Amino acid sequence: MEQTLYTEQSIHIDQALQNIQRLVTNIEQVIRGKRTQIQFILTALLAKGHILMEDNPGTGKTVMAKTLAQSIAGSQHQGGANFKRIQFTPDLLPMDLIGSHIFDDIRKEFIFKKGPLFCNVLLADEINRASPKVQSALLECMAENQITIGETTYPLEQLFFTIATQNPVEMEGTYPLPAAQLDRFFLKIYFGYVDEATELSIYKDYLGIQNNLQHIQQVLSMDEILFLQAEAEKVQIHEEIIAAVRNIVWETRRHPDIVLGASTRSGITFLKCLKAFALVNGRTFVTEDDLHQITRAVLDHRLIYRNKEGKQKALGSILDKELDRLGKLRIS
Amino acid sequence: MKIGKVHSWKKVFAQVLLLVVPTALLAFYLLWNVNRYYDILQNDWMRQGLYFGAGMLIATVFYGYRFRFITTAALLFAFYFIGYRMVARMQVGEFDAFFVSIRFMVFAILFSLGWITGFGFSRSRYYTVFWSVFLLAAQIIVVSKSPNINAQALISAIVPLLVYAVYIIYAAELIRNMNEDERGFAWFITKRVGGFGVILLLLVLGVFTLFKKDFLAIEKEWGDGKGGNYDKNKGNSESMTKQNRDGSMGNKDQTQLSGSLNKDKRLVFVARLDNFFPDGKTPNPLYFTAYYYTKFDTLTQTFETDSLMPANDLFKPDPSRIPLFFAKTDSTVIKNTHATKNRRVVNAEIYKTLLAANEYIAPSTAFFCQPVPVENAYKDQFKSAYRAKMWVSDLNSAYFIYNPAGNKMLENFQQERFSLLRQVTDWSGVDAAFMKYYTFMPRDAEYDRIATLAKQITQKAGATTAMDKMIALRDYFLSKDSEGQPMFKYSNNPGIPGMPSANKLNYFLFENRKGYCAYYAGATLFMLRSLGIPSRVAAGFLTVDRSSKNPGWYWFYEDQAHAWVQVYFPGYGWIDFDTTIPDLETHEARQPDGTPPLNMQQAYLVADGKVTSVDTVTKKVQMTVEKMLFHDESYDAANNPVPLNVDASIATVTTDTGAVRLSAVKKGMHITAASYAEALKNMKPQGNDNVSSVVKRIPNPTPVDEIKIIEAESEKPTSKKDIFESVEPVDWLRVLWTILIAIAALAVIVLATPWLIWQFLHLRAKAGGSDRARTFRQYRAAMYYLNQLGYYRNQSGPQQYATETDARYSTGFSRFSNVYQKLKYSSLPLSEGEKAIVAQFYRPFIKTVRAKTPFKTRVSKFANIYHTIHYFTQPKIK
Repeated sequence: MEQTLYTEQSIHIDQALQNIQRLVTNIEQVIRGKRTQIQFILTALLAKGHILMEDNPGTGKTVMAKTLAQSIAGSQHQGGANFKRIQFTPDLLPMDLIGSHIFDDIRKEFIFKKGPLFCNVLLADEINRASPKVQSALLECMAENQITIGETTYPLEQLFFTIATQNPVEMEGTYPLPAAQLDRFFLKIYFGYVDEATELSIYKDYLGIQNNLQHIQQVLSMDEILFLQAEAEKVQIHEEIIAAVRNIVWETRRHPDIVLGASTRSGITFLKCLKAFALVNGRTFVTEDDLHQITRAVLDHRLIYRNKEGKQKALGSILDKELDRLGKLRIS
Repeated sequence: MKIGKVHSWKKVFAQVLLLVVPTALLAFYLLWNVNRYYDILQNDWMRQGLYFGAGMLIATVFYGYRFRFITTAALLFAFYFIGYRMVARMQVGEFDAFFVSIRFMVFAILFSLGWITGFGFSRSRYYTVFWSVFLLAAQIIVVSKSPNINAQALISAIVPLLVYAVYIIYAAELIRNMNEDERGFAWFITKRVGGFGVILLLLVLGVFTLFKKDFLAIEKEWGDGKGGNYDKNKGNSESMTKQNRDGSMGNKDQTQLSGSLNKDKRLVFVARLDNFFPDGKTPNPLYFTAYYYTKFDTLTQTFETDSLMPANDLFKPDPSRIPLFFAKTDSTVIKNTHATKNRRVVNAEIYKTLLAANEYIAPSTAFFCQPVPVENAYKDQFKSAYRAKMWVSDLNSAYFIYNPAGNKMLENFQQERFSLLRQVTDWSGVDAAFMKYYTFMPRDAEYDRIATLAKQITQKAGATTAMDKMIALRDYFLSKDSEGQPMFKYSNNPGIPGMPSANKLNYFLFENRKGYCAYYAGATLFMLRSLGIPSRVAAGFLTVDRSSKNPGWYWFYEDQAHAWVQVYFPGYGWIDFDTTIPDLETHEARQPDGTPPLNMQQAYLVADGKVTSVDTVTKKVQMTVEKMLFHDESYDAANNPVPLNVDASIATVTTDTGAVRLSAVKKGMHITAASYAEALKNMKPQGNDNVSSVVKRIPNPTPVDEIKIIEAESEKPTSKKDIFESVEPVDWLRVLWTILIAIAALAVIVLATPWLIWQFLHLRAKAGGSDRARTFRQYRAAMYYLNQLGYYRNQSGPQQYATETDARYSTGFSRFSNVYQKLKYSSLPLSEGEKAIVAQFYRPFIKTVRAKTPFKTRVSKFANIYHTIHYFTQPKIK
């Protein structure tokens, strides 16, 4: 049975791929051995979502975010994106993010001074070190894509992409993000260490005392990012894959080791991410592989597990069952 | 006392099933055994087994909880104490009190033993070892105390215990070591126990196959009860009795035990024999023959009955198959005796008690059998009876060893018959094949030694004729040694270890010199045959004349089962000679004989046929007559049965097993009705009578006095002997092999299934079709093949899996997989390149994988059904 849930607009696949390839190559100049993580970040970017990166300090989270931002940032008139970075600390206040009204001595009135949120790419570093008040302020913006102060509503940029990093919640001096706020992030990825050979090559490149990050050039304009986002919209998704997403979401709600299952919104997010991920992988259709690779990143942080064993096994086995079903699907 | 669980219910259930139930079964068996030894147990093994089992079961379940042993045991003993006091108070008579308290004691002991065993199973690791050792030790003590143990009893006593010991230790360890929380717990247990069973089966098979010859020898030695294959050299006379009586092995053991307990020997049958010495007063007893053992099997070293023996003179009808008063005769027997001198026909009547209804036993060369009813007063004692006629030699007599010293007449008879037989010196006229057969003897050093002894004995005695040689052999067995002690002794338990027969006879003749009839008969036979005198062994019953009150009546008890030698004299035929020396211990203590049954009445009319209707109220039976006897004239109407109304109001109805009610007569049964009615006495048969004319003349309904039900062929197994025969031939070895072959066949099917599925998928993959269909089938076949080789997808995505496969085999699976995914999830058409990938993928892929996997690995992986099961089952959500 031919499934065409797919609009008949053809994807400019070559151009899209070219763009993605350029971006990936550029980032890999700095971040080596992290192809999967780069793909996930691009997925979140193309799906018009936000991404949360978690790992121990010093694994390259911030460098990654900065590299991505620099790859697409530049002066406004060249179509470059506006990049801002906020280092979250416990004493940070919401107004430090969104900006504040200050009194203009000349005009004798209050004017709104925009905060760092008014940008295209935001790096929210160590988000779990900020107080919940600040966290929720940020996450509201991420959800609504606008900021309302008093009676005025200020829309954010058309491209607004947040890369948040956090240290593992077990570490001291952190305010863990509540599940409802974690839900705003499309993906949560873990960074992990690179392999031994890559690590050695990184050391060799960083032998100089000076910081080497300066040579990153802007490779994509903001329009091109928007173009990619539009292309991702057109990726074909088969009915069986949608059914598989539905099954997985349902199984997380039924599973005895999962206290809080995935929401319907997370299912929708899941589908968006799948499409974006397929495009990032150079395909115009979603396959089992996309499902296999992305499920944990999309769902893991939205679920609350009963115990450690559940965290380790539950989602994997749910996915495995679904992959088995898909793998044995008879096509004629 | 804190109550909590020690074991999960699963473990307790496994303990009950795998430990308690087998132990209870063994307890039943042991108690059944013990009950036969000790009167105090009152033969109540069923209930005693239940006591033990209940104690064990309750304790196993009870101690599945956190109860302490000392406390609960103390409570149990308190319960016993209270119970005992109550029992003591309730009973009135001293006698009752004694019995009830004994019973209570037995209960308390067995229940406690079961309780402790249950506790051990539930809580203690080493209890099973201790318990097995205890049981084995106890059994060994019991066995060593039993007076007459044989291989059969030894095996039946020790083997079940050994098997049980191995099993119980294994099962207990299995249950201890398993994790009952595991999924598939029951399946795990079943698998393990099944595997253990198969190993045990193989072990038993191996042992039986390996030692089959030895077992057969042992079996023959102790009498396997198969009827006919008695080893006369070693055969136990007791086993013959059992065989003739009801053919049950179990009963044989029981008899031996009862023998050891000095119980009375039971009556087998009673016979009246019309054989008297010429004086007409002195009875001449004759041995009663059941079988002849003529053929010596050199391979198994045993004597066998042989239906093909030359000049077959054995008449073996089945009296239970012959209608009352009808006779069966076999005149070829008379011809086959080749005896013309001093022969005459002798009548006998045999009344059976323990002897099976279908057994026929009579003195040598019987040729006639006529079942007769037993007089009403004796019906309880004697189950059936028949008349027999024999072609008997005047020279034959039971007197040979039992020389009736002092009885002038008998001494004269002995001398007369010896002198007559001494004149027989020439065997040249006898058929050569006959001579060869009856003088056959294996040749080797062992048998030559016997032959040498025979020669020495006869030469020393100066015997030249066969008769003198025979007497010399008899005298040798009766001779005394230098200290005046008898050289040979009679012993039921000669204590000869199981060895081939020639060894055994040598041991008997030259060293031990103790034995029972079969030893004497066997030794005599070989000595006679070595001297060229045709002879054979007869088995049957020894006849002892104790009948001073009723001359001609003989009573046969179990211990009179006997084996002796018959010697062939041309012209005179086979003559009985018994060389077994008297057993001073048993043959003297005889209980007095009972009253013999009276002569039965003359039957005027006997009708044999099928029942058409029965009326138990008016006691009328309608039958169709097929055969009829009227005043001893026989009429036949088998082709045209004649209806007859029978008045059964005074009739006694019998079957082979005893008297029954008239209601036992059913429509369609084969019966024989006999009438002694006075009304018929004066009706004489006329020349042109037939069945219908006789029926017309006699009163209607005809009064009858006897109705005997003759069991139909299909009902034959109801007779005990037949049940035994239909059960006995179960060749356990064959059953075991069949089971093993079935298991093997199942295993082959299981092993072949993955390969067959693969062949199917492979063929489908190679078949044509649309791109989509072909790609799907090729992908499926490739996935199955890899899965069967043990490379599971294991939570990896198809792309990852394909890449891994490519890394392992350097194939192009990932490219193909990509195309497949595109076909599956995209509506885009395939490009030419992708079509090429599909077209070139399958055969090279399978070829490469096959080439890179060693044949041995492929075979072993493809034999593994678990891979196949894994392929077809959905992964479980954990």
